[in-house]
Amino acid sequence: MSSETEEASTSLLMRPLNWLETRGDALFAYILLAPAFLLLAVVAFFPLIQTFRFSLRADAIRSADPFGAFVGFENYTNLLTGSAPLPQQFMDLSFGTPILQQALFVTLAFAIISVLFETLIGFGQALILDKEFYGRRWVRVAIIIPYAIPIVIQAMIFYLIFSPRIGFGTEFMQWLGVFGSNPLSNTTDSFLIVLVADVWKTSAFMALLILAGLQSIDRQLYDVAKVTGASPWQRFKYITMPLIAPPLLVAMLFRTMDAMRIYGLIDATAGCQTVPSMSCLVITALQATRRWASASAVAFLTAVTIGLVVVVYLIGLRDSEAGMT
Amino acid sequence: MSDAEPEHPDLAAQERSEEPELDRGVVEAWAAKMISNPDRAYKSLFYIATIFFLLTTLYPFFWLLMVAITPSGSLNDVGVLTPGGFNPEAFIDIFQLLPFHRFMFNSFLIATVSTVLVLFVASLAGYVFGRLRFRGKTPLLLTVLVVSFFPPAAFFVPLNRLFNRNVDVLRPLLADGSLFNTPFAIVIPVSALYLPLSIFILMTFYAQIPDGLEDAARVEGTTRLGALFRVIVPLSAPGVATAGVLTFITVYNEYFFSSLMTDGRPEMWAPMLEGVLAFRGQYEILFNLMAAASIVAVLPVAILVIVAQEKIVSGLTSGALKE
Repeated sequence: MSSETEEASTSLLMRPLNWLETRGDALFAYILLAPAFLLLAVVAFFPLIQTFRFSLRADAIRSADPFGAFVGFENYTNLLTGSAPLPQQFMDLSFGTPILQQALFVTLAFAIISVLFETLIGFGQALILDKEFYGRRWVRVAIIIPYAIPIVIQAMIFYLIFSPRIGFGTEFMQWLGVFGSNPLSNTTDSFLIVLVADVWKTSAFMALLILAGLQSIDRQLYDVAKVTGASPWQRFKYITMPLIAPPLLVAMLFRTMDAMRIYGLIDATAGCQTVPSMSCLVITALQATRRWASASAVAFLTAVTIGLVVVVYLIGLRDSEAGMT
Repeated sequence: MSDAEPEHPDLAAQERSEEPELDRGVVEAWAAKMISNPDRAYKSLFYIATIFFLLTTLYPFFWLLMVAITPSGSLNDVGVLTPGGFNPEAFIDIFQLLPFHRFMFNSFLIATVSTVLVLFVASLAGYVFGRLRFRGKTPLLLTVLVVSFFPPAAFFVPLNRLFNRNVDVLRPLLADGSLFNTPFAIVIPVSALYLPLSIFILMTFYAQIPDGLEDAARVEGTTRLGALFRVIVPLSAPGVATAGVLTFITVYNEYFFSSLMTDGRPEMWAPMLEGVLAFRGQYEILFNLMAAASIVAVLPVAILVIVAQEKIVSGLTSGALKE
């Protein structure tokens, strides 16, 4: 009895498999891709289109359906002219800079400065890891550990270091004359804290990618250079730099895209009210004011901004490659 | 050759040497040695840099431990290198004041389910992209890549709406028929966002398996899918492990959806990050508990990194530098 049902169930399982087996290569490929694309469609493609459609509707704060009538691009013009009714919190209330410009400024400034520092520090770390020395394995573990720790814990460490009651960071920065009395509620100070925290964590990522580039360089080039009397600095300048440039730029592109999404680190340290990145603005608009349509407009603009940066970057990359060859 | 000079901390000592000097000091003797033997200078520079990077990356963890073992009464006394006292009870308190173990369990469950899901789906896709030829391969691959550059915020509004909607079909399975406050509300978006990386990693590994092995399996009578799961996946075990470890770590570390897709209560499947942050919300003063919770939560990934560092390094570099 039990073997009979087993047989039945296997044949039930085998039937679609056999059917699949008799399909052509292309159809077989599409069927195997279906789960991946279904997942991506539900989570990414469909929501992106929805976000855009939502952003064309009016905010309806009080009704059950958070979206009102179709208003075209009004949300976008409101955002760009600064008349969008989003919570205005930080930086310069008095000058009345539109919230979107503030968020844009914070996001871009953060991306540029953090990627710059991460590249420099990551390069330094990669040069060290590229050498053969005793205990290298453990040095490598130590250097990549920050990259693997949860964002919330990274945020917690720097929150503690810079919270005036317990940490030494605030005192030190005040001694340098940089910070005010309560850095975690001051936009500029918090921006610096978030920046330091991000550089601490993600330099390791740059280091790993640069290291991969370094290790793909043919060692014989260095031997030749040594024989011809090149100093270590000359070897670095004329061999390492040109060969490392392409993977380095790709790594920087990845980091830039990632840095422009910053949300968690800010949310868990200073809070989105203090340092408004674009992702932060989406969430504050959604949760604090329940303006779903405006939030969608900001969200879509975030995606567009990142897309533009990527395009500019790729054009720059192509030009620089064309210039080199 | 004097490249090493500005790096040296004792510039003041060098200035002193401009006075008419008689006998050479330690520093000057050292500097002279460096100039005559530049390799030595580079070597010492290398050690200084190594120690500097080790200190900057590891010191925050050390300080976190100092805060965690400080008793709540003397938190003001935490120094740069020393704790304000010794009382490791914080590591017990975090499980008593809040069910922190439940938060940890939720995180583990979410990360494990996502990893299994991603590995399965990415195996199918990686097989197709790595081993089959068909029309539209490149555009489809590019589409997968594009997903990884969009910010999660761009997907959030519709997803939030979708997961909050009560779907009658799900009612027998879930209390109110909506996905919000269930592990799936985090598993689904997070799996999709980290799927592309795994697809790229597995694609490279599957492409390296010789065709002959697959053909042999087919001759033996397995189906194409059978050959994938019985021959190709086992032979690519290092690649699968790499993708699995990376997915687990990134999902465990994820913040955006993890913080927004539950209401923060442990019985509502809130992940570990809500637990860590809860010590700030409810118990503002208990910095030592926040530190202790952070240490407990970081241990699993720290161990994973130490055990699987080769995999992480190779996975990140091959996954990111593919294009």
